[in-house]
Amino acid sequence: MLVSRLWLQKFFDTELPPAEKLSEALTFHAFEIDGMEKVGNDDVLDVKVTPNRGHDCLSHRGIAKELSAILQIPFIHDPLAKARLNLAGKTDKVAVTVEDSALCPRYLAGYITGVKVGPSPEWLRERLEAVGQRSINNIVDATNFVMFNMGQPLHAFDASKLHRGLPSRGSPEGSPRYHIVVRKARTGEKILTLDDKEYSLTDSMLVIADGNTETVIGIAGVKGGKPAGISEETTNIIIESANFDGTSVRKTAQALALRTDASARFEQGLSPWFSGYGMHFVVELIQRLAGGELQDIADVYPKPQKPRHSSVSVKKINQVLGTALTGADVADAFTRLGFEHKPARLDDAGRTGGEEEGVFEVVVPFERMDIEIAEDLVEEVGRIIGYDKIPAVPLPPLGQVPEVNKNFYTAKRVRDELAAAGYSEVYTSVFADRGERMVLNKVDSVRPYLRTTLTDGLADALNKNIPNKDMLGLTEVKLFEIGTVWKDGKEITMVGSASEKHPAVEKPLDEYVDGGEPAQYEDLPTSSAVLYRPFSKYPYIVRDVAMWVSNDTDPADVLWLLKKVAGELCVKTYLFDRFEKPARPDDSGRSVGEEKVSLAFRLIFQSFEKTLTEAGANEAMAKVHTALQTKGFDIR
Amino acid sequence: MEKETPHGHIHPLSLLTREANDIFYRMGFSFAEGPLLEDEWHNFDALNVPKDHPARDMQDTFFIKDTPGMVLRTHTSNVQIRYMEEQMQNGTPPPYRIIVPGKVFRNEATDMTHEAEFYQLEGLAVGEDVTLSNLKGTLEQFFNELFKGTNVEVRFRPSYFPFVEPGVEVDMRVVGEAAPEKLRDKWIEMMGAGMVHPQVLKNAGVDHTKYRGFAFGMGLDRLAMLRCGIDDIRLIHSADLRFVNQF
Repeated sequence: MLVSRLWLQKFFDTELPPAEKLSEALTFHAFEIDGMEKVGNDDVLDVKVTPNRGHDCLSHRGIAKELSAILQIPFIHDPLAKARLNLAGKTDKVAVTVEDSALCPRYLAGYITGVKVGPSPEWLRERLEAVGQRSINNIVDATNFVMFNMGQPLHAFDASKLHRGLPSRGSPEGSPRYHIVVRKARTGEKILTLDDKEYSLTDSMLVIADGNTETVIGIAGVKGGKPAGISEETTNIIIESANFDGTSVRKTAQALALRTDASARFEQGLSPWFSGYGMHFVVELIQRLAGGELQDIADVYPKPQKPRHSSVSVKKINQVLGTALTGADVADAFTRLGFEHKPARLDDAGRTGGEEEGVFEVVVPFERMDIEIAEDLVEEVGRIIGYDKIPAVPLPPLGQVPEVNKNFYTAKRVRDELAAAGYSEVYTSVFADRGERMVLNKVDSVRPYLRTTLTDGLADALNKNIPNKDMLGLTEVKLFEIGTVWKDGKEITMVGSASEKHPAVEKPLDEYVDGGEPAQYEDLPTSSAVLYRPFSKYPYIVRDVAMWVSNDTDPADVLWLLKKVAGELCVKTYLFDRFEKPARPDDSGRSVGEEKVSLAFRLIFQSFEKTLTEAGANEAMAKVHTALQTKGFDIR
Repeated sequence: MEKETPHGHIHPLSLLTREANDIFYRMGFSFAEGPLLEDEWHNFDALNVPKDHPARDMQDTFFIKDTPGMVLRTHTSNVQIRYMEEQMQNGTPPPYRIIVPGKVFRNEATDMTHEAEFYQLEGLAVGEDVTLSNLKGTLEQFFNELFKGTNVEVRFRPSYFPFVEPGVEVDMRVVGEAAPEKLRDKWIEMMGAGMVHPQVLKNAGVDHTKYRGFAFGMGLDRLAMLRCGIDDIRLIHSADLRFVNQF
C-alpha cells in the first residue's frame, strides 16, 4: 500500500523523521517496505502490510498509529478519537434491507441533497495523486480520501438515478423513499460498472440493488455500477458505508477478476465500527467540499461487534521470547500501542504475583481483529521492543542422541557408490507426459502427470548431455537420480541410473537399505565452497592436437603452454591420450633412436557471445601449432 | 590412458543437504521426511491455514485430478504435523528436534528465481523451554558452520505466517574477509520462521500449555545459489552435467 509522508504528518504535531527513518522503523517493527519514491516535496513509501494486519493497517491512520507506537511520537490527531458520531436516522427518506447479515454485518446509507459536483481542491488532489490515485470529482475523491485516510471503503450513488417508492409496510401515508437492498445476485443478472465493463453475476455474489426496481447498482464491496454513478449533473447522493464479509468479497472479486482498492480492504476483514466512522467523515468532508444537506442516515447493524479482552503474563512473554523484560517494559509497549491495559489477577486466589509474573489484561482496540490469544500480545511486545533485543542463545543439549534416518543414510551411501562408479547425479522434474495421477491445474499445462518412473527423465537427460561429452571431458555419460515416483497408487523413492552403454534402470531405495540400525551417519564428503562458473549456451568446437615429445616432458607443462597460447575462446583443454614408443632395436639387438612419447590434447573453443566459426578455432589452433613447434615438439 | 573410471559428481543440493544434516545433527536434530503428495489437513488445516486463506486458492497449489483433498505439498511444514502426531501416538512426548529437507511445489510460472519445484529445509524444535532466542542462536550457529571462516549475523524482522506466532522474517549477513564477495556485508532475506502457533501444537496432539517450539523454513535452492554463486535456479533441475560436474 502506498503511503505519503506528508499525509502521515497530519496525524502528528511533532515533525516526522525523514522517509528513510520511517522506512527503517516500519521494517524492523511492523512491515516490509517494498519501495520508496519522491513525489514532489513528498515521499511515498510502499508498505507491504501483512495479511494479519489488513484489518487495521490498510490506511494512513493505521500506519500512523504504528509509527506512533514505534517512534514514540504522540498520536494526537486521531480522527476516530475526535469523531462525535450521531448517526441516528432523522427522517425516513432512505431505507436499507440486508438479506443476510452474515455477509453484510453492517450497512449505512446516507442521503445528502443539493451537492455541487466539481473539481477537488488542490490539497485533496495532491494527497490522492501522491498515492497513485487519479482525481475524479469532489464527491468521488472524498470517498477515496476517507478510505485511504482511515480504511473504510465507501461508495457514492447518484440518488436521481434511483427510484423512490412508497414503503411497503408501515404508514401508508409515508413519503416516497429510497430503498437499498443488499442481496445475492440472481444468476444471469448483469452489471455495467463505472469503468464501462459488463460483468455477468452469479448467485454466489453479493450485490447492492435498488429495492424499488430490483436493478443491481453495485457489486458489494467490489465496484459500483455505471447507471447510478456520480456525474457532473448529480445533485442528490446516497453514500454507502458498509461492512461486507471478507471471504465473500474475495471470492467475488476473484471470480470476476476485478480486484479494487475496496475489495482488497474488505477481503482482509474489517471491523463494522469503521463503517460508522467512515460515514461520519465522508459526510463531513462532502459538505465541506460540495455543500449539500444531510437528509437521512439509515444504519443496519443487528449484531454490534463486542469489545474483546486478551491477557498475557510477563513470565509468558519472557518464556516465549527468551528475554528478561520487566512488567514496566511490557506496560510501556502496550501504552505505546494505545492498548488499554491493567494488571490482572494471576490466579483464583487473587494473587497478582511479582512484577515479573504479573498478568496484563488488555482491552483490544476494535480494529485489531488479529489479537486473540496471549501469543498475539507476546508478538506485539516483541516487535515494539524490537527483535534486535532478543539474544541469540543456543538450544540446551538435547540429552539424547538424535535418530539416524535410514532412508537418508542409505541414500547418502548409494550416492557415493554411484559417484565412485562414475555416475553423476541429476535432479529431473516429477512432472511427466504420462502417469497414474494427473495435476488438475498446472499453470503451464505441459507435462501434467506425476511420473511413475525415473527412467524417462534419465533417458532425456542422457540425450541432452551426450553432445557435451567433449566439453565435459567424459568418454561416457553416466547419470543417476534418487527421486520420488507415484506408481501403483504409492509414493516411492527410486534409485535410477542410465549410461550410454546401458538403458535407464531403476529400483526402489528400500532395496538398498541394510537390515541393521545405523548408529550414526557415515562421514562422507559434503558441499565445499566451490563457486559455480556460468557456462556458455552456444555450441562449441573441438580440436585435437597430438605430438611426439621426449619421455621426460611433463604433460602438465604442455597443458600450461596450450592454455597460455590458445586464447580466451579456449574454454577447456585436457590430455586425452598418451602412449610410449620404445626405442627400436636394431639388427644386432641394441636400442637405437630415442624412446618417444605421444601426447594428444583436446581443446574446446566456445564463446559466451555468439556461435563460434570454424575460422575462429583455426586461427587459435595455428597459434597453438606455432608455439608447439617453437618448443621443438613434433606435431603428428 | 586413464582406464580407471572417472569419479562422478553428486548434485550440489544433495551435498548441501548432507552438510545441513551434519550441522543440525550435532545440535540434536533428527532428519525427518514425509509425503510430497499430501492431504489438505497436513498441508493446510493443521498448520492453521484457514479454508479461505488465499494460499489455498487454485493458482498457488497443485491439486490432483479425481482426488479431492490432496495437494502437492506447498512447504515441508506438513512434516511438522506428521512427526508430532506420530511421536504422540507412540507415546513419546517432546522434546522434539527435526529438520526436514525436501521437495515442495508452487503452481507458478518459472524464471531465474522461481521454480514450480524447489527444495526447502524445515526445522522444528519443541520442548518445555524453547524460546525465540533459541531460534536466533540455532540459525546463527547453522550459518556460521556453513560459511566456515566467516562471521554470520542473523536478524529478525516482524512477519506473518499462520502457523507461527510471533512470526519473523530472518535475514543473514556474512561478514569477514573469507565471505564470498557477492555476499559480503549484505543483509539477505533467508527464511520465514517463528514460534509454533499453539493451535498447531494442539492440532498435532501436543499439549500446548506445557510445550512451545520454534519452526523455520528456508529455501535450499536459494541457500545453494547464495553459497555457490548460482545465478539461475533452473540449473538445479536442468540435469545438465555442465552444471552438476562443477561440484
